[in-house]
Amino acid sequence: MKVSLNWLKEYVNLDGISVDEIVDKLTMCGLEVEDYINQQEIYKDFIIASVTKKEKHPNADKLSLCKVNTGNEELQVVCGAPNVAEGQKIIFAPVGSTIPSNGMKLSKIKIRGVESNGMICSEAELEIGSDASGIKVLDNNLKEGTPITEALGLNDVIFEIAITPNRSDALSHIGIARDLSAIFNRKLIYPEIKIVESETPVTDVASVEILDKENCPRYIARVIKDVKIKESPEWLKDKLIKIGLRPINNIVDITNFVMNETGQPLHAFDLDRLAGKKIIVKSTSSKMKFTTLDSKVRELPAGTLMICDAEREVAIAGVMGGENSEVTSQTKNILLESAHFNPSHIRKVAKALGLSTDASYRFERIVDPNLTEFAANRAASLIAEIAGGKVIKGIIDVYPEKINERKVLLRLSRIKKILGYEIPSDKIKNILTKLGLKIISTEDDKLNLSVPTFRPDLEREIDIIEEVARIYGYDQIPAVPKITITLEKKYDESTFTNKVRELSTSFGLYEILNNPLVDEGAAGFGGNPVKLLNPQSVEMSFLRTSLVPGALTVIANNINRGEKNLFFFEIGNVFIKLNEKDIKTFQDFKEEKHLLFILTGKEKEKAWNSSEKEADFFSLKGLVDSFIMKFPLDNVLNDSYYHNGNTNFAFCYTKNADNISLGMGGKLGKNVLKQYDINQDVFCFEFNLDEFQKIKQKQSRYISPIKYPKVVRDFAFVLNKNITYEELLKFIQNNGSYLLQNVKLFDLFESESLGKDLKSMAFTLEYQAEDRTLTEEEVEKEFLRLINLIEKNFNAKLRGN
Amino acid sequence: MLTEKIKTIKTEFDKDSTAVKTPKDLEEFRIKYLSRNGRIAQLFEELKNVPKENKPSVGKDLNELRNILTEKFNNLKSDIEKANISDEQKIDLTLPGTERIIGSKHIIIQTLDEIKSIFKGMGFSVFEGPELESDYYNFEALNFPPDHPARDMQDTFFISEKFLLRTHTSPVQIRVMERFQPPVRAIMPGVVYRNEAINARSYCVFHQVEGLYVDTDVTFAELKGTLVSFAKQFYMDDLKYRFRPSFFPFTEPSAEMDITCFICKGEGCRICKKTGWLEILGCGMVDPNVFSYVNYDSEKYTGYAFGMGIERIALLKYGIDDIRKFYENDLRFLKQF
Repeated sequence: MKVSLNWLKEYVNLDGISVDEIVDKLTMCGLEVEDYINQQEIYKDFIIASVTKKEKHPNADKLSLCKVNTGNEELQVVCGAPNVAEGQKIIFAPVGSTIPSNGMKLSKIKIRGVESNGMICSEAELEIGSDASGIKVLDNNLKEGTPITEALGLNDVIFEIAITPNRSDALSHIGIARDLSAIFNRKLIYPEIKIVESETPVTDVASVEILDKENCPRYIARVIKDVKIKESPEWLKDKLIKIGLRPINNIVDITNFVMNETGQPLHAFDLDRLAGKKIIVKSTSSKMKFTTLDSKVRELPAGTLMICDAEREVAIAGVMGGENSEVTSQTKNILLESAHFNPSHIRKVAKALGLSTDASYRFERIVDPNLTEFAANRAASLIAEIAGGKVIKGIIDVYPEKINERKVLLRLSRIKKILGYEIPSDKIKNILTKLGLKIISTEDDKLNLSVPTFRPDLEREIDIIEEVARIYGYDQIPAVPKITITLEKKYDESTFTNKVRELSTSFGLYEILNNPLVDEGAAGFGGNPVKLLNPQSVEMSFLRTSLVPGALTVIANNINRGEKNLFFFEIGNVFIKLNEKDIKTFQDFKEEKHLLFILTGKEKEKAWNSSEKEADFFSLKGLVDSFIMKFPLDNVLNDSYYHNGNTNFAFCYTKNADNISLGMGGKLGKNVLKQYDINQDVFCFEFNLDEFQKIKQKQSRYISPIKYPKVVRDFAFVLNKNITYEELLKFIQNNGSYLLQNVKLFDLFESESLGKDLKSMAFTLEYQAEDRTLTEEEVEKEFLRLINLIEKNFNAKLRGN
Repeated sequence: MLTEKIKTIKTEFDKDSTAVKTPKDLEEFRIKYLSRNGRIAQLFEELKNVPKENKPSVGKDLNELRNILTEKFNNLKSDIEKANISDEQKIDLTLPGTERIIGSKHIIIQTLDEIKSIFKGMGFSVFEGPELESDYYNFEALNFPPDHPARDMQDTFFISEKFLLRTHTSPVQIRVMERFQPPVRAIMPGVVYRNEAINARSYCVFHQVEGLYVDTDVTFAELKGTLVSFAKQFYMDDLKYRFRPSFFPFTEPSAEMDITCFICKGEGCRICKKTGWLEILGCGMVDPNVFSYVNYDSEKYTGYAFGMGIERIALLKYGIDDIRKFYENDLRFLKQF
């Protein structure tokens, strides 16, 4: 919200306080100054000047060559504005000044070969208005050489203040001034209202009826007759322009002024356009269309609170007036509305319409129900003063149930308990009083307070404590330099994932993080996806069901940047819908933490001392096994392999611990990679970390290594190539005697010389006894026995014999 | 006799030495002349047989011979060593080493880890919670009334009428307080979602760390002390800070914590929007309404809570110019951390 310092000064005396201090104090009381413009600062170089001569620019049709009198010299200036003319008083930007709208610093330049010593400015260039069509022409009485800060009253400071949603009271100049009055301990001055009323009572000329009391607890109408619609006086226009509003006409400007002064949104109806001179406040019973005063046709949902006359709707209550009843240049008589609406209703309507106005913004945040009368009177008196109308006697005030001030009990000891710091009680009392609270009574530790209705946010003792702390200053409360550590049981639910991360990085993998929001195509990769109700874009309209699609996008992007060897891991949550219904409970979906390993390209690059190696399925498998080895599990681990059966993979496998699947992976299918324009093999494995974590890990126990030496033997067999490694391994392990401690495949090949359908597999066997040194004979006997068994069982032939 | 032998050995020594080319030759040569049973030693052995009166002069000659030959041998040895550097020693040691690839955690995770370790040192537990949350945990139990403008502070992605993607990690506060009675001292890191325009400063997904401490005598002063200590450990020891009143429905009083902009040292720059201050977190005393949702007695217990965005902190700390870079996963970016 834009706030003018000069305007604030009408309600609180800020003499002797610097702009910097005001900015600091506002921010430090919770009214955060996000930005501010000090006009004295930015307009300091601009002066009034007159155009003494105007000629055509010799080299450009659209430019003029002017002589400008700045009060002490005459300068040649090139001007491009169509409206520049001899004799005009204008705003002159001398060489060295900075143009506010674009930050350009002026220097002496040649424009199309002619020297120009400064610039004649438009409103828009100076940001004092929106007109950019030509230069700003000023009142002829102004004197050349006068700084514009003085001549045009550009001596204000405009604050941009962020008002938090709880502070509806601060959405006005008086509201902000009230906080300043408490901070600087100065008096808050309300504007004086003088109204001369006519003889006719208002009840003779208009009437008000509220049918929906819940959504409209109060409605005040005042009538002002015989007004003259015209442009507002300069002071009023100036005030509105400074806070970023566009002046319309005197009546509309006054309602905007009073809203920004007091916080009460007002609406002016053309009384003569109200059928039956009657206001009825009621909610619509069905959907309808309505044209608002911005000439837009709005679709209103059923149940929208409307202001109606005897025949039709004339305004959307609290949001925007209707075109059919707005003030026009022909308007003579005004019905001024100052009402209180139910905040949550106004919020619903504004949301449904996608229309947020200055009025709805305030009503949503609760406008003081007891401010209506003051604001109506303030506006009526200004209308009489500015638009020359007659204020009709009396107020129509429909207020079925008066909303009273709230009573709150404050214990001074509680302030200390919450803040950990004691604020002197006289300070507390003064702060509360300055904020408009009344101390009804005091007993010992307790203050009985009455909270004005303009502070709906102060409901409880804790709210009052915050007010005291806020004005007293959070910085006055010390930061205690010590804490007590309580010794309740400590938890760290991230321990498991921390270990997973440490291991993954030790394998040379880089961690990636992806957006869990994906498009429909990517969403189905791992199951039935959850859809967003209000996605930002189709690219992010679902939640991921697998980490793979996100990682493939990352791989594709890196390949495009020339990085082809990519080894990543990701830990993240995936979301799977468990039925086709709308999500109503946590049972309708599952959220799982997954871990993805994904590899592509060369795991070893060619170097001067080694050859390159492409990552393959076995790189992945080895990675997965090495990873799992680091978790001591009681369960029996096994793999299930699938050459087809999953459309996402060329081939794949699952890793199981007993009957629980820990995850799945393999070589990604060409069909999948094609969608990402990836032309190299990609291998990945995705763990369900939640399942993994659920498996009880056993306590690691030390096993002492065998201290007797091992005896190593190698053998190679030629056998049918349909015999798998696993079959042969199991056979060796089961038949190799208890002395066989380790079996390792070290060579595998097929060749024509071996024969069709045959392959050679070579193993290293390690024999070792726990209680003695093995003899060569002992080992030889076991070794030969095993060879014999393998030859028989697999119809294999020992090689090299 | 012996004197003659001394001369002969001298000549033979010189002659033999010319044939020594390899370390092996050298060793054989050494054994022949200078070892325990070498020819010099043999001459000393023969000294026994020299008549008594000649012993001193012959002994002197022998010693001289030994010294000369030892010196000659040493020179020879050094020459041979120079001429016979092994293949291993000829290697170009300036060749590049073989790279060992150690991956890395994402910089956001590293930043989170650093924050976690500071708070764990102050006795905080670590809890996690779901990202797909119910309206109850994300808003209602945190004292966001339905249809309240406070809900607009956090643009929400909805899944259904009552379910949404959590907009902050604060719902985990409720879950933790439902599980445990005070004292509760915990931080709750995690992923959160906001339906906000995507640009260099904001992304629709980011990480937060939530903090909560509830006990019988927790005060705002302690909240300040704890967070100041955190900021000093995380940023720099001589940091200036300020606590500014703010508004969060689930804390009262509420504050935002600013620290001196470490880019411009408080002078005012683009990063701190010329204020000299950087906002690093939101905090406050737990609102009694929140306690009532988890059946804590707000007369007996007080507590504080805080929350901070990790991406923002990492942007500032590492001078990264665009928040989207965290989610691009450019290998060249990942490798830097």
